[in-house]
Amino acid sequence: MSEPETPGEALTPRRWLNELAAPERRLLGLATLAGVVAGALTLGQMGALAWLVSELVVATRAPGELWPGFLALGVILPLRALAQWGQEAAGLEASLRIRRRARAALLDHLARLGPVRLASRHSASLANQLVEQVEALDGYFARFLPQLRLAVVLPLLVLVVVVWLDWLAALFLLLSAPLIPVFMALVGMGAERLNRQQFAAVARLSGHFIDRVRGITTLQLFGRTREATAEVHAAADDYRRLSMRTLRLAFLSSAVLEFFASVAIAVVAIYVGFGLLGYIDYGPSPGLTLFSGLLVLLLAPEFFQPLRTLSQHYHDRAAALGAADGLVALLTEVPAPGRDGGRGPVPTASGELATLYAVTVEYPGRGRVLGPLDLAVRPGEVLAITGPSGAGKSTLLQLLAGFVGPGQGERRLAAGLAFAWMDQRPLLIQGSLADNLRLAAPEADEPAMRAALGRAGLGELVARLPQGLATPLGERGVGLSGGQAQRLALARVFLSPAPLVLLDEPTASLDADTEARVVAALGELAGAGRSLVIATHHPALMALADRRLELADGRPVAPAAQEARHD
Amino acid sequence: MTDPRRGDTLRTTFAPWLRLLDRRRGRLVAGAALMALTLLSAVGLLALSGWFITASALAGLAMVAGLAASLDVYVPGGGIRAFAVTRTVSRYLERLYNHDTVLRLLADLRGRLFGVLAALDDRALSRRRASDWLHRLTADIDTLDGLYLRLLAPPAVAALALLGLGGFLALWSPAVGAAVVVLLGLALAWITLGQARLGMATSHRQVADLERLRGRLIEQLQGLAELEAYGSLAEHRRRLDTLEARLEADQRRLGQRAALGNALVGVAVGVTLAAVLWLAALAHDAGTLPGPLVVMMALAVLAMNEALAGLPLAFTRLGATRAAAERLNALEAARPPDVEAGEGLPPGPPALSLEGVTLHYPGALVPALDDVSFSLAPGERLAITGGSGAGKSSVAALLAGRLGATEGRVRLGAIELGRLSPSRLAERVAMLTQRVDLFDDSLAANLRIADPAASVADLWRALAAVALADWAEALPHGLDTRVGEGGRRLSGGQARRLALARLVLRDPALVILDEPFAGLDAGTASRLARWLDEWLAGRTVVYLVHQLGGEVDPPGVQHTLQLVDGRLSGYT
Repeated sequence: MSEPETPGEALTPRRWLNELAAPERRLLGLATLAGVVAGALTLGQMGALAWLVSELVVATRAPGELWPGFLALGVILPLRALAQWGQEAAGLEASLRIRRRARAALLDHLARLGPVRLASRHSASLANQLVEQVEALDGYFARFLPQLRLAVVLPLLVLVVVVWLDWLAALFLLLSAPLIPVFMALVGMGAERLNRQQFAAVARLSGHFIDRVRGITTLQLFGRTREATAEVHAAADDYRRLSMRTLRLAFLSSAVLEFFASVAIAVVAIYVGFGLLGYIDYGPSPGLTLFSGLLVLLLAPEFFQPLRTLSQHYHDRAAALGAADGLVALLTEVPAPGRDGGRGPVPTASGELATLYAVTVEYPGRGRVLGPLDLAVRPGEVLAITGPSGAGKSTLLQLLAGFVGPGQGERRLAAGLAFAWMDQRPLLIQGSLADNLRLAAPEADEPAMRAALGRAGLGELVARLPQGLATPLGERGVGLSGGQAQRLALARVFLSPAPLVLLDEPTASLDADTEARVVAALGELAGAGRSLVIATHHPALMALADRRLELADGRPVAPAAQEARHD
Repeated sequence: MTDPRRGDTLRTTFAPWLRLLDRRRGRLVAGAALMALTLLSAVGLLALSGWFITASALAGLAMVAGLAASLDVYVPGGGIRAFAVTRTVSRYLERLYNHDTVLRLLADLRGRLFGVLAALDDRALSRRRASDWLHRLTADIDTLDGLYLRLLAPPAVAALALLGLGGFLALWSPAVGAAVVVLLGLALAWITLGQARLGMATSHRQVADLERLRGRLIEQLQGLAELEAYGSLAEHRRRLDTLEARLEADQRRLGQRAALGNALVGVAVGVTLAAVLWLAALAHDAGTLPGPLVVMMALAVLAMNEALAGLPLAFTRLGATRAAAERLNALEAARPPDVEAGEGLPPGPPALSLEGVTLHYPGALVPALDDVSFSLAPGERLAITGGSGAGKSSVAALLAGRLGATEGRVRLGAIELGRLSPSRLAERVAMLTQRVDLFDDSLAANLRIADPAASVADLWRALAAVALADWAEALPHGLDTRVGEGGRRLSGGQARRLALARLVLRDPALVILDEPFAGLDAGTASRLARWLDEWLAGRTVVYLVHQLGGEVDPPGVQHTLQLVDGRLSGYT
């Protein structure tokens, strides 16, 4: 995987795009090569056409004698089609591979950042970035990069042929050549500006639209939907008036290119025509024939075509740079120190499942949220972590789990320790109930899964479902209520063989009956010799505990004070 | 919903959208005419230039041979210059004009979509409130706005151009004209209909697959803690990879097929060129066609490349546009029937009752409400308690007429809810929703949602009622202060009070308040509770709260009703 952590230079969007392109240099080169071959074959086609015409009209040969020209066309056309196809296919393949690699690198990086760091971000918009912004890289690699080189090579190729045919005509083309970089800059600036302004305006308009749609319930409640509909239309119309002002200017740059291409044809046609009439006695003009004159005329548009194509692909570049901007910002986010240790290479001293020595946790902008603090989790014990909200209960669990690293101090785990986890936002994947359970234990069989569901208080529900464990859950758990989702996550805990179980408010949003059942089941779990660390407010769960750790402002409350509060 | 429904032909799918386009027919025709003019200039420029230099060459040869020959160079020279200029100018105008048209269409489409969304009930909206669903709808609209510029105008102009060119060339040689029409006509049919067929299934499922990928990614990101703990991260990544591989295979297939279409354009033009040259050569040999016209014909065919170039890509992806249209059509089909001609509520606070109400959301495993019955006398206050997902919001939606019960009856007063006119019901029922909707607009505009005719004094009175007047007065822009996207510039408590102030601007008979004091400090909440108690006098009230017995309870609760997983577990 391409790691972003190359020391020294900072990762910029441009650099990232270059790094992504580097492994596919061969495919991109192949695309360019196929483009050059297609261009050369186009020259051949024009040559054959000019030859056919001049043999027919000037040499007045019979149609039957023209077979070499038709044969040449017959050979060139399929070859050129093949080369064109090859150019597109190679560019496409490079782009597909690059996008897959980019997405994988981003996912790896997000996994390294860990669940705590990601919690501060909106997962839907992150997922959008991973889908849409990565897709936005397509045009840049598949089309723009190969075309960038073709826009240099193909005009040169045309120029060489025209010089050979008639250097004065070549001079006309060449005179416009120094202007080409100027056009490119013009086109580029136009496109970039167009893109930036359009992008902002589109975002504003979409923002307005989504703002109104999001509030549609309120608009319905107040009976204001008709007015809002008119407003949506008016906003889109305002946006149109605004963007037409930009477009008027932006389209000028491509009009300039178009103009030069048209003028080149016109100038060459008139020059060749007058030369053939013998009106021009200068330089190579008297030597012009219908063949050379016609070929020069046919090649004049080909001189500009690569550049026109490039200008069409210019927005691909702007789109890719815009997307790279957002993605590089993600990639350059550094994982918290200690995160990379993951499950921790340092084993515990003697028998403890997990040990924390003088650990602290700091968050940027919030300062220290936990510690300094010592803690040892022994096999088979139930430890309740209590304290007011914001005291650092969840952070302590996250630290034990390795989702955050200690700022100071040390975290040690028993060798090869596996643990089970449950918090207030249970994961539900699209798939069957069984798929969701097997996340915790891939090998689990049906009786084991049913037993786990039963202990989590879902047995009755599953028994009512005609498809049982095969019942599909919709995307993001559509079909389950919040409490049911919570119990499904709990069933996973029961199913998992992990000796250490970390639970963050496991009974929040459960009704009293279910809650009592869950507490009993957790007691059973502890009885089976598993260690439970539970962050909770709940008296029934606290009663389950062998030991309590009360936190206030991230620090353990003194045992004396704890006893006092306990009463 | 994303599957192409059987019996839905392309025509029926696109029919509503074509009708929408038809409203701007004048502009569409004018835009296509500009396209045609651009194409005509391009063809004319190349064809006339070819004619001119061939004629020059022949005249030059004749002069060298000492024959009397002359060629009027001024008319063709002027023609060439004119074509060069019109090509540039008409292209510029065409792009400008058609972009204007597309933006107008976008405004039409957005307005239409919003109108459809506005008519949906909670059953349709509840599952789809997620913002990514909105993004997809917006993207669908953006896909459809290309219908004219990519899929309708270009093939129409190309068809017109090849008929026109065929007819023009037939003036000199009917055989050449016929060859152009037949050969390029076949090519046009292939790169539109053929390519569309080649790419239909693949491009049709692409959007849905991207959507699925997005769903899996959200799972992975939201569930990272559990996936990491259970060591099933790699397992889930494999699921993602499988999906991505399928998506990639589809994109490869589509891209390669579009490339095939693009390559075939070159072949088709080349083959037509060869055929035209051959037929023209025969005519030239027979002495019926002068040399310059042979060249003119060949070059005109060559220039037709421009008319066909963009079509294969657009039509290979037709399925994506079709899928977008189908999704939007399905949305429209979900629109509940209008019952404007219903009864109104009699004056005064209504009694309300639920009798054996069961409510089933589409796709849910278990009902959201299961056999719920209770009643409330006029002017009484009821608190419904329960955890999230217990069914409180569903009861509220039923009472506000935003949903119909799957089974059972909901009555306001003596009237069954289905028989009440929704707009007249909206005037009498006010609801503070759990999530407060504020719009990216001024304070005043956000308040006037409740009553567009409210005076500035009314607005200040409403703000004073919810203890926001002092705060608003201190703002430099006062009532004109913008609240930001979704009210982001306000605190949660301020947003909630602003939403309450909206209710004050109305005079509802039934008030439903979902967590009225959420996000407020105890001081503000108790001040608000005192005022609320007064304002709610003489109205029937339903509170929805997580549980009672907090720091500040809603005022004057006479009955409580507890919901657990959609079932009534206690009524006092």
